[in-house]
Amino acid sequence: MSAPTTFGGVLRSGFRLIARFIKARPGGFAVAFAGSLTYAASILASSRVIGWVTDTVILDVLERGAEAAGLLWKAAAAVMAVSLAKSLGVVTRRVGAGWLQLKNRQDLRRRFVGHVLKLDMDWYNRQAVGNLISIGDADVSGSTFLLGPLPFALGATLLLIGTIVLVFILDPLLGVIAMGFIVVVVIIELRGAWVTFGLVAEIQARRGELAAAAHESFDGALTVKALGREQWETDRFTERSDRLRERLINITIVWESFKAAVQNVPAAAQIVIITFGVFRLADGLLTAGDIVSVAYLLSLLFWPIQLIGFVFFDLAASSAHWERIEAVFREQTYVRYGQTAAVDDDTGAAVSAAAVGFGYDETPVLTDVDIEIPPGRIVAVVGPTGSGKTTLAVLLARLWDPRTGAIRLDDRDLRDMAAGALPDEMAYVAQEAFLFDDTVRGNITLGVEVPDADVRRAADLANATPFVDELESGFDTQIGERGTTLSGGQRQRVALARALLRRPRLLILDDATSAVDPSVESRILHGLREADLPSTVVLVAYRASSIALSDEVLFVEDGRIVAAGPHDELLEQEPGYQRLLKAYEEDAAARAGGGA
Amino acid sequence: MSEHLKAREAVIRALRDVPAFRRGLGFTLFLVVVGTTVNLVTPVFVQRIVDAGQFSDAIDRTAIMQSGTVALIGVALAALVNRRANIRLGVAATSGLHDMRTRTFGSLQRQSILVTQEERRGALVSRVTNDIERIQEFMEWGGVGLLVGVGRVILTIAVMLWYSVPLALLVVVATAVYVGMLLSFQRILGRAHDRARVAVADVLGTAGEAISGLPIIRAYGAERHVSAKLDRALEKEFKADFRASMLGNFLFATAEAFTGLITAGVIVLGITLGVAGNLTAGELIAFLFLVALLVDPVQTMVETVDGAQSAAAGLRRIFEVLDTPIDVVDAGVGGVPLPAGTLDVEVDGLSFAYGEGPLVLEEVTLNVARGERIAVVGETGSGKTTFTKLVARLIERDGGELRIGGVPIERIPFSSLRERVGFVPQEGFLHDATILENVRYGRLEATDDEVRQAFADLDLLDWLDSLPEGLATEVGERGSRLSAGERQLVALVRVWIREVDLLLLDEATSAVDPALEVSLRNAINRLLEGRTSLTVAHRLSTAEASDRVLVFDRGRLVEVGTHAELLERGGVYAAMHADWVVGTATV
Repeated sequence: MSAPTTFGGVLRSGFRLIARFIKARPGGFAVAFAGSLTYAASILASSRVIGWVTDTVILDVLERGAEAAGLLWKAAAAVMAVSLAKSLGVVTRRVGAGWLQLKNRQDLRRRFVGHVLKLDMDWYNRQAVGNLISIGDADVSGSTFLLGPLPFALGATLLLIGTIVLVFILDPLLGVIAMGFIVVVVIIELRGAWVTFGLVAEIQARRGELAAAAHESFDGALTVKALGREQWETDRFTERSDRLRERLINITIVWESFKAAVQNVPAAAQIVIITFGVFRLADGLLTAGDIVSVAYLLSLLFWPIQLIGFVFFDLAASSAHWERIEAVFREQTYVRYGQTAAVDDDTGAAVSAAAVGFGYDETPVLTDVDIEIPPGRIVAVVGPTGSGKTTLAVLLARLWDPRTGAIRLDDRDLRDMAAGALPDEMAYVAQEAFLFDDTVRGNITLGVEVPDADVRRAADLANATPFVDELESGFDTQIGERGTTLSGGQRQRVALARALLRRPRLLILDDATSAVDPSVESRILHGLREADLPSTVVLVAYRASSIALSDEVLFVEDGRIVAAGPHDELLEQEPGYQRLLKAYEEDAAARAGGGA
Repeated sequence: MSEHLKAREAVIRALRDVPAFRRGLGFTLFLVVVGTTVNLVTPVFVQRIVDAGQFSDAIDRTAIMQSGTVALIGVALAALVNRRANIRLGVAATSGLHDMRTRTFGSLQRQSILVTQEERRGALVSRVTNDIERIQEFMEWGGVGLLVGVGRVILTIAVMLWYSVPLALLVVVATAVYVGMLLSFQRILGRAHDRARVAVADVLGTAGEAISGLPIIRAYGAERHVSAKLDRALEKEFKADFRASMLGNFLFATAEAFTGLITAGVIVLGITLGVAGNLTAGELIAFLFLVALLVDPVQTMVETVDGAQSAAAGLRRIFEVLDTPIDVVDAGVGGVPLPAGTLDVEVDGLSFAYGEGPLVLEEVTLNVARGERIAVVGETGSGKTTFTKLVARLIERDGGELRIGGVPIERIPFSSLRERVGFVPQEGFLHDATILENVRYGRLEATDDEVRQAFADLDLLDWLDSLPEGLATEVGERGSRLSAGERQLVALVRVWIREVDLLLLDEATSAVDPALEVSLRNAINRLLEGRTSLTVAHRLSTAEASDRVLVFDRGRLVEVGTHAELLERGGVYAAMHADWVVGTATV
């Protein structure tokens, strides 16, 4: 389902959207609507006051020589009174509308992120993360944007109807004329908003292209420069900017044409009404004050009448934004949890995989994987690039579920574990350390309440303490987006400390120390071996030294476990394993041989 | 006030530097003023009718029809002029911004800031996207409205003065007081908006990391922690936004009250003047209309001040980019192209610092002979990557001499330098296109066969053919459909196909598996026979296989020699190598 493409469709989906938001925060809407009514009523009243002032004050005094004294203050008071009523209406409307809009935006953003956090990795993996973030940002703001001007537009609509009624009561002929003009203006501006809206979609697409070109050439700056492609990039950017410019000029011409009509028809209406009004006056059907009153009222409509077009435009835009949000809400592929609770044992967990098969799409990545890991063992997963090591690690961490077969922790199928139970027993450290915009401590605890000594102990074990202590505020240093930048190896050590703090029964390290210097890495791994951790450890590694620390190696090739056993054994028996692990040694030997 | 001044300077500068903004501006402004007369038609029309006695005496229908028709024609003409003026403004703004955008982009492309300050890239992208868009938005909504508003205010006041000087003065003085009040409140409002912006950024950051960190959040069961953090940020954002909007609401509502106050004043003073015979009834009624016309644009103009400040801030940021001198200057046609054949490198007292920071490279001196294969090693932050970037002239040295093929590097035109010297970074950027197109980015005229041959040269055909669609395989955004190691392969082939005479590899194969890395290196060494290469590596097998090793430590070149010599010396390299051997030993 895509954004509605007919005028009626936009109206329908827009009204449904508005109804949803109003239902969520009826109080805000009620206040705003009351304010809007007050405003509309006081505008009508103010035009009547001007009419009365014209007849009984200005004309009577200046043309018919009446006494001014008492009337003057009455007139001033009446003018002030309706103005204050208008002001009151404006404030009430805007406060209510602000509440309606901002609260709905807050609700929607919370709900969106909460929903995404529940969806499974199959879905998540198909999304561009940048796009999801932009839905949670721009689309959430965009879909609720129209709630701001909405009450005003409703008030303006009522004001237009009120105007027609008022003028009609004064004089049916003028009423018909006023109605004719108002209907014409509203039609023109709805048409204009609709046409413009169609063009805006294309402009957004051009903007996207342009931004993509800028991102590509700036992110790839090193490559661009090294290859001397600066001019090529500039030409491409200029071409896209040029296309955007053309579109913008097109839309300017269309938009300004409609705008010129909408802004000037009311002025024409005033003149026609005054002209005919004077005729009616001569026939004794109207007073001069009535005519001035109607003309004055029309001049107060200039702005509200324009707003109706804007709001229709916003309605279409909001519907389009909402469509993108709803597409995510429609996804219901939540991660499912069972009932099995976590065990609070301070022992390693036994891990088993039985006939596990998996692929991110139709292409199989893992086939027939059988694993038995007794509690407390350190197992290395080794294999060439693209053989499925990382996939195995994420299945063990239950980021995905196997397509066939089952993975068990102490004979409990991972899928039967209750929500939150698995993280109590398992910790997973990814290749790329993900750090939050938080302090070092916050990044290690992730909200778990623990004594500082525990945080420090975990950081010690991850070899993170030395550099953390050198940071400006130690463990309280803000890192991430707006704080200190850490090197790759430092980031990995913080992520490792996060896992160790939890004293997991199963620890999964996916090449989690790749950016750490070899000597530091070996210190960390030796530390892990010697520390009194309850963990069973599964580690994906390249470095022979890390692998050598393991009790057992699983050698993966093309998504299958082709051999399992102690490192020394595999080195002797498995040619593929040997080729991978001995690449450097053999290379050195070959050179030595060639040189000799 | 200084902010206002700076804003004005930025606008004047934009008008001066970008001809598209200026083109026909005088005529456009003339049209703007003429167009605003449409608003004056009605008050004048009413005044004429009243003062012609039409409201109280017998009416002259023909005369009224005639003046009504004239007024209608006036409105129609003004509408056309309005339209034309606004279109001209829109076209000038759009064209001018297009010029600024492309010039800014071109200027950034030629500065080394993109290389030296990676973390600022996002901010720089927003120079040519968000900043320009903000200015565009401001020009469309605020800027045009501001010009039209100024025209309207001037004309309205002129008509008022024409009717009655004392009454006009009352209105002008009262309006001036109101504007002063608005401006001072505007500052308070501006601060409230600044606070709100900070809160908004917090929400976006928190929501963004909740989404991008989903795998880790799930693995750690941290959903509740992250949601609570988001809730707090959202509540803070709501409060800041709502508070700012409350201030705005009261500010906005004062317009109505002020219109009322001025209208009441006009009635009282007007009647007094009228009784004394200094004002007609028609003129007084026209005044009531004129007052209603005046307050709206005045208020809009004040609101626009805020938008103008942020648009001007955007302009200033763009001028900052345009004013930054190009730090790595192309020698161009006046330069000395590199001599034919393989190239040597002479380095003498080379130093470099990022901006005002400490020296990251200090007094490096060495010669690389033609055809020599050099390995560059050192710990993270030792200066080895900076050194190769200087040799590729991706950044400009701060001291010392650097000659390639005997030519001082700053005298070599980029066309010659880029053609003959190839640089492969650790994370080569791939476009969202096929492998073929990505390799061809290295040599635009390369044929399919040549690209395939380049893979064959490096013994990578097996890998290429293992991909579902070979050369036609789409690599995804930033190459995301390939693994890190595979991206490096494509980036390497992309430079390889240029057949350079000096090859600089900056950890270019750090993510491929050991067996493949060894095979790649052997292929490169075989094919580069007789050509010069500098390879930065953290896997020391590369150093073992090189002619000479350069060892960097804290910005200095501390050891130079063959692998065997350096091992024997027992210094930095020997220690690193011992570490490496421990790491790779299989038993």
